[in-house]
Amino acid sequence: MNKQPDNSGAFAFHGDWRQFAPIAFTNLLLTIVTLGLYSFWARTRVRRYLWSETRFIDDRLEWTGTGLELFIGYLLAFVLFVIPFGVLNLVLQGVLLRGHPGAALAIFITVYLLLMYLVGIAIFRALRYRLSRTFWHGIRGGSDDQGLAYGWQYLWRTIAGTLALGLLIPWSMTSLWNERWNKMSFGPLRFEAAATAGSLTLRFLLFYLVPILILVLGVVMGVMFGATGFRGGAGLPPPGGMIAFLFVFVLLFYGVLGVIALFFYSAYFREVIGTLRLGGLEFEFTARTMDWVKFVLGTVALVVFTFGIGYIFVAYRNWAFFIRHLKAYGSVDLLDLTQSTTREPGQGEGLLDAFDIGAF
Amino acid sequence: MTYPVWHYDGVTAVRQMADLVIEGDRFRLSDGADSHALADLEPRDTVGGDVVYGLRRRPGWRIGFAGGVPDELARLLPRQYRYGRIIDRYGLWPSLAVFALLAAVAVVVFLRTPALVARAVPPSVERQLGDLMVGDLGGRTCNGGDGPAALAALVQRIDADDAAIDVRVVNLPVVNAVTLPGGRIVIFDGLLRAAKSPDELAGVLGHEIGHVKNRDVMESLLRQMGLSVLLGGLDGNVGGYTHALLASSYSRSAESRADDFAIGMLRAATVSPLPTAGFFRRLGGKEGKDGVAQALSYLASHPVSSGRAKAFAESAKGTYRPALTPEQWRALRGICPSDKDVEKPEFRF
Repeated sequence: MNKQPDNSGAFAFHGDWRQFAPIAFTNLLLTIVTLGLYSFWARTRVRRYLWSETRFIDDRLEWTGTGLELFIGYLLAFVLFVIPFGVLNLVLQGVLLRGHPGAALAIFITVYLLLMYLVGIAIFRALRYRLSRTFWHGIRGGSDDQGLAYGWQYLWRTIAGTLALGLLIPWSMTSLWNERWNKMSFGPLRFEAAATAGSLTLRFLLFYLVPILILVLGVVMGVMFGATGFRGGAGLPPPGGMIAFLFVFVLLFYGVLGVIALFFYSAYFREVIGTLRLGGLEFEFTARTMDWVKFVLGTVALVVFTFGIGYIFVAYRNWAFFIRHLKAYGSVDLLDLTQSTTREPGQGEGLLDAFDIGAF
Repeated sequence: MTYPVWHYDGVTAVRQMADLVIEGDRFRLSDGADSHALADLEPRDTVGGDVVYGLRRRPGWRIGFAGGVPDELARLLPRQYRYGRIIDRYGLWPSLAVFALLAAVAVVVFLRTPALVARAVPPSVERQLGDLMVGDLGGRTCNGGDGPAALAALVQRIDADDAAIDVRVVNLPVVNAVTLPGGRIVIFDGLLRAAKSPDELAGVLGHEIGHVKNRDVMESLLRQMGLSVLLGGLDGNVGGYTHALLASSYSRSAESRADDFAIGMLRAATVSPLPTAGFFRRLGGKEGKDGVAQALSYLASHPVSSGRAKAFAESAKGTYRPALTPEQWRALRGICPSDKDVEKPEFRF
């Protein structure tokens, strides 16, 4: 009963945007007329379609989450998080206006740390929720961990990574990836994540140094530009030329920075997914920097040239890109793959919604 | 009747082939003896042409009909989900129409509620809320010389004997006056510098008192809170823009109501409205040379239209007395400079 991926790849996406379009447009319509309330059910419909059109080895994935549980998760997060923080915000303002900046700063830092802790928990629980609602061959994933310990890990590793002038950020990203995936399972099988930051450091340094380089270059060019203007006897550089220069400079700055960010992220995803294992399966993510650049430019074009309507297809595009570049090797023994014994979380990824962070 | 199905038992991952045997309103699979109610079957997504059902309280349990369900069986089984249980029952277009109607009603109710609720909130509660949010403004209020007495005289003149109004001058070089929850009005020192006469100040003060009397601060507070709650469910950006749009369109109407109130107060107190009209014209840029940049703060929170100055100017008739004597006006303008204990204006909003 050994199932092995054949040459066509373990993962394949069979979706068709013409099948997806009716889902996307009715979702948009229903979300508008329900003042956004339907968005939880809309997201569920999208996932059900995307999952059901995704084949792993010999069978499709299945999404069993419901809109109601996403909605309940959101309400819970709202009551437990948004309201207390709103009240705290009012108090903070009061303390500040009463002239106690020290106390206000202390409250602010405490709140900020608490917030980071909650963000950590939210990331963990969203991953756990998604695995627990993903079925394959009637078997689901999950985790026995509540993610409270992960919250602390997230807090201190993120702070430590940032404090060292940001140089340890690749380490904090990969070690946190390991931290959460090592607590996840599918059926009886544990995920094993062993990502290291070593291969990412060079690319991260580039990301780190290039903005400084560009800035220096820009200042030098700006000065030269200004100097030639003076020599021309006009007294000031022509404003039109200056604006054009600034425009090109800003465009270049973000363009170059964006490409370098993708250069880093493509290595990051190749590393973290490439070192992930599940039982006898190994994974690989094949998207190179150029694939990411084309993907991002395509998405931007899709949204811009349709005056924003294309936004409803972005989830489809993201998923198709992800699955197209996801590979798996090794084998699954179906006889050993028994139902997960992890506790099913009762509600959806509400906390993550409250923080407005996407994906995994 | 029997029908061929594939089957996952939700315990192991092995796909079994079996026959579905229908027995009245129950069924069993040919490879097992367990019998289940047909009503316990739950429709799942159709996958690659296979129609799939799950079973209530059995996660992962699935049967699939390769190529679809025969018609005579489909009648016995629960219908497939599409948009969600409620919408499927009534159909997409009727549901859309009903939701749109409900949404319109909700928006109307929502836009009217803050005004009603704000007036139902007792002033004492509003005052407590104000205390929580801003307190007594620390050491930044000015109390120099005869200034407080002059300020009290001005308030008394245009709004006699209202204990709920509490006017303070704060040592900040900002040309503005704001109303805080709980009937607190804050005049910034910059406004005292920019005003050419006590009558101008009286008009601005009357406007702020109008906000207090109309409960505008509470209404605006409730509206903002309500908007963030309602729009929180939508995409962040859309929410933000809509929020700003709705909040600003509201404050225009509140501004003109506060102006009407101020005009009425000036008339009752026999203070001329013409200087206030002049003040608005100056801020509006007609005489733009003195302190246009300084005036930006007032303009940002109180949009000045030519209509505003006109409303004040047209209300002028009869004889008027100055709002304060020259001595009182001098004392009021000196309320901050002559106060040695007040904090220096290093604080920025």
